[in-house]
Amino acid sequence: MSTLTLTRRRGLAAAGWAGPVVRRLGAGVAVLWAAATAAYLALLLVPGDTVDVLIADGVDTPERRAQIITEWGLDRSQARQYVDYLVRLLHGDLGRSYVLQRGVGDLLATQVGPTIRLALTAAVFGVVLALVLALTTAGRRSWFGGLAGMSELVAVSMPPFLVGLLLLAVFSFTLGWFPVSGDRGFVSLVLPAVALGLQISGVLGQVLREGLERALEEPFAVTARSRGITERRLVAGHALRHALLPAVTLTGWFVGVLFGGAIIVEAVFGRPGLGQLTLSAVTGKDMPVVMALILLSAVVYVTVSTIVDLSYLLIDPRLRRSG
Amino acid sequence: MLEPPEEKYVKVQLGVLALAGTLTLAACGADTGAQNAAAGGEGGGEGGSLVWAVETQPITFNPQQWGQNKARLLVHNQFDALIARGKDGEFLPWLAKSWEVSKDGLTYTFELREDVTFHDGEKFDAASVKANLDQLVSPGYNAAVAAIQLRDFSSAEVTGPYSLKVTLKAPDGLFLDFLASPYAGQVSPKSLKNAKDLKAGGPDLVGTGPFILDRFTPGQEAHYKRNPKYNWAPPNAGHQGPAHLAEITYRFLPEAAVRVGALTSGQVQVIEGVPATELGLLKSDPKVKVETSLNSGSAFSYYFNVSHPPFDDKRVREAFRDAVDVDTVLNSVYQGTAKRAWSVIGQGSPQFYDASLENTFGNNAQRANKLLDEAGWDKRDAEGFRVKDGKRLTVRSVESAPYVRDRRDILAQAVQAAVKQSVGIDFQPKVVDQGTQLKALQEDQYEVFQNSRGDTDAGAALNLILPKGAAINRTHFENAELDKLLADASASSDLTRRKELYAKVQKIVVTDEALLLPLYVPADQVAYGAEVTGITFEPVSGTPNSAYDIRTGT
Repeated sequence: MSTLTLTRRRGLAAAGWAGPVVRRLGAGVAVLWAAATAAYLALLLVPGDTVDVLIADGVDTPERRAQIITEWGLDRSQARQYVDYLVRLLHGDLGRSYVLQRGVGDLLATQVGPTIRLALTAAVFGVVLALVLALTTAGRRSWFGGLAGMSELVAVSMPPFLVGLLLLAVFSFTLGWFPVSGDRGFVSLVLPAVALGLQISGVLGQVLREGLERALEEPFAVTARSRGITERRLVAGHALRHALLPAVTLTGWFVGVLFGGAIIVEAVFGRPGLGQLTLSAVTGKDMPVVMALILLSAVVYVTVSTIVDLSYLLIDPRLRRSG
Repeated sequence: MLEPPEEKYVKVQLGVLALAGTLTLAACGADTGAQNAAAGGEGGGEGGSLVWAVETQPITFNPQQWGQNKARLLVHNQFDALIARGKDGEFLPWLAKSWEVSKDGLTYTFELREDVTFHDGEKFDAASVKANLDQLVSPGYNAAVAAIQLRDFSSAEVTGPYSLKVTLKAPDGLFLDFLASPYAGQVSPKSLKNAKDLKAGGPDLVGTGPFILDRFTPGQEAHYKRNPKYNWAPPNAGHQGPAHLAEITYRFLPEAAVRVGALTSGQVQVIEGVPATELGLLKSDPKVKVETSLNSGSAFSYYFNVSHPPFDDKRVREAFRDAVDVDTVLNSVYQGTAKRAWSVIGQGSPQFYDASLENTFGNNAQRANKLLDEAGWDKRDAEGFRVKDGKRLTVRSVESAPYVRDRRDILAQAVQAAVKQSVGIDFQPKVVDQGTQLKALQEDQYEVFQNSRGDTDAGAALNLILPKGAAINRTHFENAELDKLLADASASSDLTRRKELYAKVQKIVVTDEALLLPLYVPADQVAYGAEVTGITFEPVSGTPNSAYDIRTGT
């Protein structure tokens, strides 16, 4: 093979990649801008005046109003405030919390670590449990498979709040194996991660098992069986790949479940994290924090779905050309 | 007090403690505070650690920005006030050794303790008190305090290293109460300048208190270590010298059931905010002690908005009040653990509470029905609610979720059922976010306003709720005589006279005008393991005291 052909091939490959990649990254940026704008609109649309929130239970005098309006720059025009807000965002300045009187960036920085730890552990737990369940029960139309399906249904239906309390009652209050609260090492992570991961394992387990069962009825499975391959190798080596694709698509949904569930689970277990921050910010109408959290979740979603999209390109070469 | 060898011993013990903690963690994975406490208690006397699970995480650690009664128990760990309160509400020296008030009530001269240092090593003196007062009234810092508690403050003058003269613009009977409140927690002037987030406070905003905040993990815990130099406790404290505990952790556990489980499983030694539903269980547990203390201030009441129908008619207000059998309602919601209120002032403020109002109203459905008939609400619609001119007798209450505590949402449902069943009033309690509540309040789209205030001086609460145009006068009630009584009571520092004036105030709003339905007196419930001693409540506010006198073990 000559050098020329190699270069041409690389070039082609790059061309095949570049289009979809640029398009998806561009779309990601557009989504972020939309999220920032939506967050800003939310600030305008939520009931109650910003000045009122800042006054809270304090005295409501015209002087105090005037002072707050100047202090927070509320006397600028809406358009001006919006542009200023976008410019500040581009500089990485998320503003100041109305209620906590701290920089929002600092607040998020201290709370993001525990949530990531919790979410990742919960995700790993959920995925592993789902895989084990699906692999051991797929294709067996026995009471065992039925039981697995049943427990998945229960796992999906139980709110993390209840699961958390039940886990605490058994494993912390009664058996004393795990601490009740806090973010102190892996031990304190187990129960919250299980409470949060169960829901994922329920849905993912069902998707995986159905995928596996469908794949096991496909012609390639019949062919493989006819060549004498064991059922176990057929499931793990061939059918699983097919079943994984729809599961990968669910990643975006995971992120939502993990973040939404974290709000509840963190409160139940007294864990620091973005969830507790979200809860107090939303109930206290601490809009700078709410807006920053909206943006942050948009960033996470965009990042995750871009990675998922790009990984499709990696998995399936056909998408590169057609895309 | 604490001899050097002892201190060394404490350190060694702490080392062992830490090791024990790590081992426990490694061995079975449970970091049970009870074991720590037991280990700490072995030394007997000084030392030991304690974990206290609290419901509410403080919004701020800056005492001058304090605003949550639920976070009051943290303040005096880190900060001392100028004045303390005794068990009958009398003022006791603390950081101020003595004080004198001029005849006209305009000049206060303070002699301060000379042996006090802040946690950052700075000396506490007259200049630092002045710096604190000036900070409080500086623009944009705490407008509420500047406009309410310090509205009559004119200037502070340093007259000697440890003497200070404060001048007021007008006599203020509540000024000493202010100096005994968390707002007057003395902050090192150096840290007032240098703190990273002044309004939020934290380990870099220091005071003179018996404990030093050394770690705050938002959403998890606040950790304090003992201030070994502390030797300026108020005279009514349980002991003098440094605190008994070497360290204390306040863990934030918003779920009541989780707090109770943490206590019964020994993972924490003290919990605050015990739900009524769990009180029975805990009281029957021999390993746990439970204590209740009524809070000072105004009782939790439903205030009637008189600015528009139907509560502009006094008969309807009286009817709503008579329609509710408060005892039954409280029993069903709190299982007999709530103290029924009878006036705008709660029994937690015995100095001003007018006990003669007891049993003067309520639980009289017959009278309520008669009153409503007279007021023209004499027809009923298909659902059994009263109507007048085709309009249903609907009254709304709009509460903000963060302020709903003590299961007040459930209580509202019980009241809703009671007034529907007994007289056919359609009471619609709603729990919403803060913005929606503010909007409803501003647009006057509510008829019932739920409120209680935990001010140490009940008069301060009344000043916010009752006078014309007051900050939280949500009733829109106006009465010149009432305003005059309140103003006179605030200006006086004569307790007997104030009590008389407030008795008249209570008669006007409770009996004459039926402006509110008092429901219960907010209380603090604390439960703790039997090995813990020294848990007390602040004499006037009724909230739990700081951890200064607490010890674990025997």
